[in-house]
Amino acid sequence: MKFTVPIGPQHPALKEPISLRMTLEGEVIRDADIRLGYNHRGLEKLAEEKTWLQNIYVTERICGICSHSHATCYTQGVEKLMEIEPPKRGIYLRFLVAELERVHSHLLWLGVAGHEAGFDTFFMYTWRDREVVMDILEMVSGNRVHYAINTLGGVRRDIDDLQKKKILDSLDFLRRRSEFYFKIGANEPSFVARIAGVGRLSKEDALALCAVGPTARASDISQDVRKDDPYGMYAEVPFEVATATSCDVLGRVVVRVKELMQSYNIIEFLLKNLPDGPVAVRAPRRAKPNEVVSRYEAPRGENIHYIKSNGTDKPERLKVRAPTLANYPATVVMLRNGFIADIPLIFAAIDPCICCAERAVVLVDGRSGEEKIVLMSELRKQAHERWKKAPLKKDAVWPF
Amino acid sequence: MRIAAFLPEILRHLFKKPATVDYPFQKLEVPKDFRGTPFLHPELCIVCRACVRDCPAEAIDILTVNEADKKFKMVIHNDRCIHCAQCVESCPTAPKALEMDHLFEIAAFSRWDLKKEWEYVKAQVKPKAAAGTPSAEAKS
Amino acid sequence: MAILKPLLYIFVYPGVIFLFVYSTFCEWFDRKVYARLQNRMGPTHTGRWGILQPVADFIKLLAKEDIVPERADKTLFTLLPVVGIAAVSTAMMLLPVWHYNVANSSPNSFSGDIIVLLYILTLPTLVFFLAAWSSTSFFSTIGGARVLTMLFGYEVPLFLAVLSPAIMAGSWRLAEIAAFYQHKPLLLLPNIIGFVVSVICLQAKLERTPFDIPHAETEIVGGTFTEYSGKKLALFRLMTDVEMVAGSGLIAAVFLGGFPGGVILGFVNFVVKTLLIIFLLTLIRALTSRIRIDQVISFSWKYLAPLAVLQLLITIVLKGFVR
Ligand code: SF4
Ligand code: SF4
Repeated sequence: MKFTVPIGPQHPALKEPISLRMTLEGEVIRDADIRLGYNHRGLEKLAEEKTWLQNIYVTERICGICSHSHATCYTQGVEKLMEIEPPKRGIYLRFLVAELERVHSHLLWLGVAGHEAGFDTFFMYTWRDREVVMDILEMVSGNRVHYAINTLGGVRRDIDDLQKKKILDSLDFLRRRSEFYFKIGANEPSFVARIAGVGRLSKEDALALCAVGPTARASDISQDVRKDDPYGMYAEVPFEVATATSCDVLGRVVVRVKELMQSYNIIEFLLKNLPDGPVAVRAPRRAKPNEVVSRYEAPRGENIHYIKSNGTDKPERLKVRAPTLANYPATVVMLRNGFIADIPLIFAAIDPCICCAERAVVLVDGRSGEEKIVLMSELRKQAHERWKKAPLKKDAVWPF
Repeated sequence: MRIAAFLPEILRHLFKKPATVDYPFQKLEVPKDFRGTPFLHPELCIVCRACVRDCPAEAIDILTVNEADKKFKMVIHNDRCIHCAQCVESCPTAPKALEMDHLFEIAAFSRWDLKKEWEYVKAQVKPKAAAGTPSAEAKS
Repeated sequence: MAILKPLLYIFVYPGVIFLFVYSTFCEWFDRKVYARLQNRMGPTHTGRWGILQPVADFIKLLAKEDIVPERADKTLFTLLPVVGIAAVSTAMMLLPVWHYNVANSSPNSFSGDIIVLLYILTLPTLVFFLAAWSSTSFFSTIGGARVLTMLFGYEVPLFLAVLSPAIMAGSWRLAEIAAFYQHKPLLLLPNIIGFVVSVICLQAKLERTPFDIPHAETEIVGGTFTEYSGKKLALFRLMTDVEMVAGSGLIAAVFLGGFPGGVILGFVNFVVKTLLIIFLLTLIRALTSRIRIDQVISFSWKYLAPLAVLQLLITIVLKGFVR
C-alpha cells in the first residue's frame, strides 16, 4: 500500500517551513517531493532598494547561522565592483570571524544531528560547548548572531592582544571537546546504527546533481572554494580539504568534524600571523556599471552572489545562490529507499537553511499542476473570494 | 564501537553545577563592546543626517521642530532598529553623538513604547580637534 | 476493619493517592536526573527544586482545550485514557507492598499474580495502539503500527526474564518469590542477566529513548499522541508515569528481593528500590539515541531473547544444584 505523508510545512523536525511529501510503502520511502516557497521574504528585491552599505546588513539577514558568509560574499563582490582592496589586517580579521562562524555552525550541526536521532545528551553537550565560540564571536564582533563585522573596504572592529590570547586559549578546549564528540559519535552503537549507511549519495550522483559543501565532500569529491578558487588570504593559509569516502550521514559527520579541526588550525594561523596596520579603507558610495560573481565557501557549501551595478549607489540586481538550494536535488536521491525514521537525519545532514534558499514563489494549480503568474492584487481577491465561499471541509484531501 | 561511550562523561556531571545560567534570576554579563541599543548625546549632534541616510532599517528620523531656532527632534524606533551600529559608525562628530549602550532586555508591550526621542538644538560644526568637550553654545 | 483494609489499599497505599504523588515524584526524579546528566538544571521553579513541576504540568494540561478529531472514533478515543490508567493502577495493586507475612496476606495476592501483573502491564501497549488507530491521523497510524511491531520485540524477552526468578523460587506468587529471595539473598546474583534484560525491556515498554520510536517527535510528530490534547493527554502522561512505577516495582519485587521490613521499612525499601531502577532507566535514556524500528526487532531477537533464554537455562541448572 502506497500512501503519501506530508512532512512539513509545520513539523517538529523542521525548524523552518518546507514541505517534503513522502511517498511511503510501509516504513520505506519510495519517492520524495520537495516544495519550497513558504518562507519567501523578497530579500533580493529589497536589496535593490538599499545602498551598497546598507545591503551588507540586508544580506547578513539572509541566514542566521551563516550570516557572515552571505555578508562576506556580498562585500567581496562589491569591493571588486568598487575596485578597492581591503588592507591585510582587515582581510585576516574578516576570515577569522568566518572560520569562527564555521566552527559554531558545525558544532551546532553536530548537536542537531544528535537531536534528530533522539540523542539529546549529545545535543546538550555540543551546544553547551558551542557557547564558547559564541562568546568569542560576541566578544570580537559585539553580537552573537549578526556579527556585522564587515564593511566595504575591510572590517569594522579591531581585536586587541587580550582578545587574541583569549581566543587562542579557548582553541585548546574546543579541540579537545571536538575530538571527544567525534569519539562519542563514532562509538555509541545506537547512534552509529542510525547514521552509518543511511542516506547514501554516490560520487557520480553527487557530481551529477551538483551537491556542494560537506554533502559533496562526504561523497569523496574534494571540492572547496577556499582551495579551488582561493579568495581573501586562503591562498597563503595551510589547510586541507576534508573528505570522506563512506557517502552516508556518518561520512558527513566525519567531514564536519575534520573541518572543525582544520578551522581551529586556520584560526590559530590567522591569529599568530596577524599583520599590523589599519583594518579598513574608505569605500566610495557609488560603483561603476559592471557585474561580478562572488564565490564563498560557507559552512554548508558554496555560496554564490551575483551583483550588478549601474553606476548609482544601489545595486541593479543581487542574486543569491545559497548552498542549501544546490543540495536539494541530491537530498531527494538520498531520501529514496530510506526509512521514515531517517527522514529527519538525512534532511538535517545537508544542514538545510530553508529561508536562505527561498528565492521565488511559483503559483501552481493544486489539481492540474499548471503554473501561472498573477498580480498580487488579483491573488488577494481570489483568496478573499475563496475564503468567503469555502464551506467547512469535511473530507479534505491533500491536493497532489 | 563501545557500549555506553558517554557514561563516564555524564556521570561526572551528575553532581556538578549545571552549565545553564538561571537567566531572568541571574543576569548575564555582556562583553564591553556589545552592541546594544543606540542612544544620542543631544548636545553633540550637528544634524548632518548621515545616520538617517545609512541606517539600513530606516529606524532613525530627524524632524525639524523649529527651523529658526535650529531646534530638531531625533526619534529612534527601536522596534525597527536591527542593532547594527552603522549609525554610530556614520556619525562624523568626535566624540560620537550617537553611541551604543549595553541594553539588550528591551522587550515592551507595545512598539510605541520602544520609541526614543530627543529634542535638542543643533550643535555647531567644529573642526575635529576642538570638539573634545560638549560646547557651551550647544547647551544654551 | 475488614472493610477498612481494602479501602486503605485502594485509596491510600499503594492506591490512588500514593500512586499519584509517587508517580509524579518519579517523573520529577527522572527529569531532574536526566537534566543533571546533561549538565542542565531540569525543573527548578515550581516548588522546592521544581518538585511540583509534573503536578503543575498535569493541572495545566487538564485546563487546556480538549480536541477530538472529527473523523476519530469518538467513544474509543475518549475512553482509552481512562482504560489505560485503570489498567496500570490495577497492576500497581498487585505488587506485594503490604505482604510482610506470606501466610497472612491480603486477598489480592494469589498464586499466579505475577502472570496477571505481566498481562495487565501489556494492556497499556494495546491502549496506545488503539488510541493511535482510533485517532485516524497519518502520524498516529504509523505510531500505532510501530507500537505493535515493537511489542513483538520486547514482550517475549521480558516474560522470559521475569519468569526465571519465579522458577528458581518455585512459585508464581510475587509475595512468595520476594520472600524466597529474602531468605536466600545470594541467589539473586545468578539473576543478573535477567535483571539487565528486563530493565531494557521495561525501557522499551515505557517507550523511552532508545525505544521512543512510536512517538518519535522528529519523525512522526507526536506519533500515538498526535491528536490527543488536554485532559486525555494529561491522563496518558500520568499513565506512563504510573506504568513506570508499576514496572519498576515489579522488577524490584522479582529481582531485588521485594520490600520487606514492616510498614515504614517496607515503604523505604519500595522507594529506594524503585528509584534505583528508575535511575537506571534514566541512564539508558541519556546514553543512547533512538534506534529504528527494524533495529529494535533485530536487537531484541538477536540479543535480548537469547540472553533471556540463557538466564532461564542458568536458573534451571542452578535449581538442580540448590535442591
Ligand atoms: S543601530 Fe543600525 S538599525 Fe539601529 S538605528 Fe543605528 S543604524 Fe539604524
Ligand atoms: S547623530 Fe551624528 S550622524 Fe546623526 S545627524 Fe547627528 S551628528 Fe549627524
